[in-house]
Amino acid sequence: MCGIAGIVYKSGPGATGEALISMLDGCQHRGPDSTGFALYGETHPDQYCLRFFVDEGAEGEQAIARIREILSQHGAEIIEDETIANNYRLTVTFHGELQSLAYALEHAAKVISIGTTLEIIKDVGSAHEVDQRFGVAKHRGTHGIGHVRLATESEVKPEAAHPFWATGFADVAIVHNGQITNYWKMRRRLEQRDFEFRANNDSELIAVYLADKLAQGVSLREALRTSIDDLDGTFSFLVTTHDEIGYAKDRLAVKPMIMYEDDELIAIASEEVSLNRLYPGVALNTREPAPGTYNTWSRLT
Amino acid sequence: MVTIDLAEIPVREANIHIRAHGEESEDVELINPDARHHLGVGLTDNITVKIRGSAGYFCAGLSDQAHFEVDHNVGWGLADNMYSGSVVVGGNAGAIPGVAIRGAEVVVRGNMGSRAGQVMKAGTLCCASNANFMAGYMMYGGRIIILGDSGESVGEDMTGGTIFVAGTIQSLGSDAEIVDVEEEEHESILTFLDRYKISFKGRFKKVVNAGKKLRYSTQERPIRSIPFFTFSGKSDYWNPKVQEDIYVKSQTGRYRVRGYGGARELPHLADLAFKVDLSTAGDEKDPVSKINMRTEIGGLHGANPLKISMPVLIAPMSYGALSRSTKLAIGIASGLSDIAENTGEGGMSDAQRGAAKQLIFQMLGGRLGWNIHDMKRADGLEIYISQGAKPGFGGQLMARKVTEELAAIRGIPPHIDLRSPSRHPDILGADDLVIKIEELREATGYRLPVSVKLGAGRVSDDIKIAVKDGLDFVELDGMQGSTGAGSAEVMEYVGIPTLAAIMEAEDALAEIGRRKDIEIVLMGGLRDGIDAVKALCLGADAAAFGTSVIIAGGCIACMQCHVGQCVTGIATQDPAHEARYQPEVEAQNIHRFLESVRWQIAAITLALGHQDTRELSRDDLVAITPEAAAITRLPYAPEQRQSEQHLQLNII
Repeated sequence: MCGIAGIVYKSGPGATGEALISMLDGCQHRGPDSTGFALYGETHPDQYCLRFFVDEGAEGEQAIARIREILSQHGAEIIEDETIANNYRLTVTFHGELQSLAYALEHAAKVISIGTTLEIIKDVGSAHEVDQRFGVAKHRGTHGIGHVRLATESEVKPEAAHPFWATGFADVAIVHNGQITNYWKMRRRLEQRDFEFRANNDSELIAVYLADKLAQGVSLREALRTSIDDLDGTFSFLVTTHDEIGYAKDRLAVKPMIMYEDDELIAIASEEVSLNRLYPGVALNTREPAPGTYNTWSRLT
Repeated sequence: MVTIDLAEIPVREANIHIRAHGEESEDVELINPDARHHLGVGLTDNITVKIRGSAGYFCAGLSDQAHFEVDHNVGWGLADNMYSGSVVVGGNAGAIPGVAIRGAEVVVRGNMGSRAGQVMKAGTLCCASNANFMAGYMMYGGRIIILGDSGESVGEDMTGGTIFVAGTIQSLGSDAEIVDVEEEEHESILTFLDRYKISFKGRFKKVVNAGKKLRYSTQERPIRSIPFFTFSGKSDYWNPKVQEDIYVKSQTGRYRVRGYGGARELPHLADLAFKVDLSTAGDEKDPVSKINMRTEIGGLHGANPLKISMPVLIAPMSYGALSRSTKLAIGIASGLSDIAENTGEGGMSDAQRGAAKQLIFQMLGGRLGWNIHDMKRADGLEIYISQGAKPGFGGQLMARKVTEELAAIRGIPPHIDLRSPSRHPDILGADDLVIKIEELREATGYRLPVSVKLGAGRVSDDIKIAVKDGLDFVELDGMQGSTGAGSAEVMEYVGIPTLAAIMEAEDALAEIGRRKDIEIVLMGGLRDGIDAVKALCLGADAAAFGTSVIIAGGCIACMQCHVGQCVTGIATQDPAHEARYQPEVEAQNIHRFLESVRWQIAAITLALGHQDTRELSRDDLVAITPEAAAITRLPYAPEQRQSEQHLQLNII
């Protein structure tokens, strides 16, 4: 039960952090419990940014030690690392197979995201509170998505906040508004094929579902198309990869989604009030994606 | 014309100004609206409001008489429940434009979103471009004019009204059909379009209800039913109840619809006892004067709370299920006992409003009888989500009870088997709910408590949503609650018991540390003051009585409420039957029952060593059956069975 937002700048990096904070603040009423951002910045070949939730004190130190050990076992070389609030963030060079590293790390610590360009920042609290904790506003990039959450069936904790990273797939993140009613059925199917789940959160399922499709070599567009058939319930979700943003919307159009496009950018949100935050005082020509539809945009189109 | 800049002041303040200008017949212009929600909500004066830009959700919602002009787009729920007046939108409208309108004229020059005109009753919704899917979903009356294409499933489950489509009809909804357009209707549409300066040349196709689903093919007939107490008693396998259920199904060929509640034996409040010996509880002659029982409900977030003389409310029951005279009697009794009455579904009557000192006005998914004027004269607003006897289902009112008069109040066609929508058009999740609550608060100046009626199902999740969305209190209804009509299997097997419901609610709120942020009124098969005290001990802030109030007022528990031929004049809309009911006499009977509840609450509270009902706690209780102990986690004390029996015998 949530609000979502996404933005793509068509010609080079823009103030994604500021834009998303503003859009999410505009629909914070839809979800006061937690707020999160998936931000896409510059890429460096073979260089990954990793973010983890770590506890305070000895437990946190042990987690950090475990993370460093696994990285070293997998041949990842740490360039820099730092602790920001409840996050442990590293930059590493790594040439191996990401999925096995990701799963090893998942078993050792609470992974938030791993990406060559993606960083997920999420925590309990409002958009502005999360910004104050992690400095989201300064972030510039080509595209990003964000989410405000009202926890219903799963707990209020940082790791249950959105966006969700599609574990094992660098740079893939989703935000979702709605409720997947065939959650357990789909989850069991994916678990039988060794996919792992961290939260009892139906949105995590979408991330894993898409990761599964991408692993099979299916395009993001095709994965979105099949998601409309495969997922039951109500959903409006946004997904981002290193160079794309896409959405899918259930056939009953129960969860809102509205978009605005001009020469500079594409912005998508749950409510027009969020889009208007980007253009105060301007009446925008918006449109509502039709029920049962999906689409993707590349940041270069 | 006065200009209000929404970049300068928040919507809540702007709406206060708009209403003040309305009272002085002064037109208003809103600049920098930036798609904000709730613009103009609750306005009931004949002024023009110009919105220079886009508006958000519920623009012009819960209004009457005013004229709105929006230059650009609007969000979901345009003109929600608007009585008279008009809205013209220059751009597109989001989902459910014209939802539940009751006479207003709503014009959207661009496209409109899905479920346009859902549960509308009267008036015109006109879209100059294309509609999205399920336009006219569950509409009861009025007309929708679509100059472009219809979208899929147009007229899905419509009951009444007409939909005119000039473009392509992409597909027809369930129980909708295309019929010829009368010349008069065509002329009337052209006049309407002319009035709003919409040029149009062409013809329309007309979509109406096909009439296949409005009535059950076989009606329930009145039967000389075995009484409820026999019906629900212990007996052998093919017992009279089972036989009766089978007999009824053999006549109708479908599930049995009946009144009253589930008949299964379930763990209930009677399976709990008080920890200390209360054999002397009745000795004190005037316990009422010694116990502080006055209670306020609904004031936690700044609204004017209900102020009741004891922690007891009347459970929501509708005018429709019950006769007008019965609702009047209950209203009078609630006033005499100085507690709060509840309208249930189906609107508020002047007599009821006059009789009840404090009255909660209930809003259901069909918005039957819901309107801004009665909201303003209510003492509390309640969003019905479900009821304990049939969680997840809407109300059922069989054709015989849907009289012309009743249909007019509800804004629906008469003589149909009314199956009220089980969902709200604009509450499809906690995120929508929060915007809806805000609309209700805006419309009534944040004066009234807003509660939610929750049938016990997934109480744990639901009550967390309720507290997070800022509701003032929850009326929590267990499966021992009754109904005027429900399908028998649902009543027996769908809900969860009242004991389990309150436990889930308390546990969920404790888990998130929010118990103090919401109040709980517990109901569902409460029979007397002893039950009320146990409910309070388990954590409820107040208890509500429904069936027992009806019984106090003459009900004989024959379970034929749904048939509409109630011999006591309670569950009927037939004047000849209703004439048997004497509201003044029954009001006194109900009042005396309520006073017996008061006396019992006071006597037990006093005997437990307290001075105030708020001091009651779980520490005062034990469980006398293993099932009740398992549900409540109270100590299992079978030896207390004896004392519970004494209590039931002693305290009258």
